[in-house]
Amino acid sequence: MSMSTQPLTPEIVSQEGNAMVLSMGPQHPSTHGVLQIMLEIEGESVVKAEPEIGYLHTGIEKTAEGLFWSQAQTVIERMDYLAPESNALCYALAVEKLLGVTDRIPPRAQVVRVMLAELTRIASHCVWLGTHGIDLGAISVFFYCFDLRENVLDLQEAAGGARMHPNYVRVGGLNGDLPDGFLDKLDAFIAKFPGRMRDLRGLLQANPIFQDRTIDVGFLSPEEAVQWNVTGPSLRGSGIAYDVRKAFPYCGYETYDFDIPTRAEGDAYARFLVRLDEMEQSHRIVVQTRERLKTPGAVLLDDPKIVAPPKETIALSMEALIHHFKIISEGFRVPPGDVYQPIESPRGELAYYVVSNGENRPYRVRTRPPSMYNLQALKGIAPGNLIADLVVMIGSLDPVFGEVDR
Amino acid sequence: MPSTQTPPLAGAAIDPPSLRPPIDDAVIERVEPETLRARLSALKAEGYSMLLDLGAVDYSERTPRFDVVYHLLKMPVTPSSVESVGKPARVRVLCGVNGPQPHVPSVMDLWRSADWAEREVFDLFGITFDGHADLRRIQMPYDWEGHPLRKDYPARGAARERSPRPSFANKSNVQAGTPASGRTLEALQEQVKRAREGKLP
Repeated sequence: MSMSTQPLTPEIVSQEGNAMVLSMGPQHPSTHGVLQIMLEIEGESVVKAEPEIGYLHTGIEKTAEGLFWSQAQTVIERMDYLAPESNALCYALAVEKLLGVTDRIPPRAQVVRVMLAELTRIASHCVWLGTHGIDLGAISVFFYCFDLRENVLDLQEAAGGARMHPNYVRVGGLNGDLPDGFLDKLDAFIAKFPGRMRDLRGLLQANPIFQDRTIDVGFLSPEEAVQWNVTGPSLRGSGIAYDVRKAFPYCGYETYDFDIPTRAEGDAYARFLVRLDEMEQSHRIVVQTRERLKTPGAVLLDDPKIVAPPKETIALSMEALIHHFKIISEGFRVPPGDVYQPIESPRGELAYYVVSNGENRPYRVRTRPPSMYNLQALKGIAPGNLIADLVVMIGSLDPVFGEVDR
Repeated sequence: MPSTQTPPLAGAAIDPPSLRPPIDDAVIERVEPETLRARLSALKAEGYSMLLDLGAVDYSERTPRFDVVYHLLKMPVTPSSVESVGKPARVRVLCGVNGPQPHVPSVMDLWRSADWAEREVFDLFGITFDGHADLRRIQMPYDWEGHPLRKDYPARGAARERSPRPSFANKSNVQAGTPASGRTLEALQEQVKRAREGKLP
């Protein structure tokens, strides 16, 4: 059966010659969401793999065009639901760049943003590691990972008021300062992390079954990785140390001390090691932000045309009341222009290409979804491997379907 | 405090990218569809090894109506350290396309990653990529009509009938569909009983 005929009917099984076409997913538990892969197989070997995406398409980019600049952030945050802070941060940075206020964002807000971005990276990698372990039959890793992730979500809840989508990072800074007692919780997390990381490594890193399943599986050469537009840990697992935090620093990443872990092997095990090392580097950055958080300061841009003034001032000042009313009822306007703002999300280079026509709504918000491009590489790396290893490859590319399909 | 607010432009800005100098790290180029492939091939040869993203924007009141936007990155293709990667150069190529059937040449043969990106632009904007090997819808259902990210496509619309069921319902050994109405529990039990006794055809 030719797989390019339109429309492509997901027949469960059809045969032609020796090749068999098998539809894997979209309900398969190890496809990490709603991924369908049309497989052409010979025996147990994959001849061709064609991922079919779009099952979770929610039209976020279209929806965003109808919302105020600040409202659009709430839907955009829901793209990568495992790392919502990255989406919110990237969008906020893009809009700030268009507004020309990047240099005026208070330093404390930038520190909190970096802290949240790194915490969310740890949380996201926890989900990846837990589910990757489950895919390979290592159930207990999942519990350790989700326990650690729960700690991060508690911190997110304390900071922003919600576990999953706090909408805490805003255009112009943050929605309020960190609450009292937050730093104690952060200290507890910082203290707990290294021991838990040792546990996680102990469970999998030298585990012979895990190594058998991942070493030399899903090989991605540096040329292929670049050709397939793979970024993030998957690219660094192939030896190219490209990280947006180092190459195009934002939020003051150039002032933090951290390394970019890389591996030259290019297989699933290399990507596994890169992500584990990355979690430790994130912890290192969080520790540095902890020091800087001792300095109090403003967390929101002081510009009443962009940021609504504090609620308590509107009873005292006529101007504040007017500004508050204007911001709430018609949002703020952004000077016309276009901007491409990348950040390093847990999955790779996440970027928004934002076009403004001077109105109070975004004209176009184009996402560069790292998950989608990473997943697309499956077409290149799956052929020749066993079906059982496909699960390992999907896991090692770490796609999130909220972002792939948007 | 000085305000950054500017009044909106009369009639809305028709071509925002042309209105201000670039504010990000990319060099911006505008090319015509006829020279697009040649220019992109030249950039690829210059070392822009990564097609970071390919998207489109619908400037509905402008001629040409659409911009196809290519984001390129000069990335080493061999294992390299943070220092040797450095700050890779970025280029943004904008290509205006127009017409009832807007089309641009595909770059899938230059960068394999263009595959899904071009399918997505085709799906959501209705821009055809000549030479793409497998230009199908990617996000929307196969039988969808219209291209949702066009400005004249409404964000909300009338309720639509469900997509047809995939054909594998017919392949199952269980009869598709619910039992005919009026069939009581007793009747089903009777059927099971008869089946056990081997009387059912």
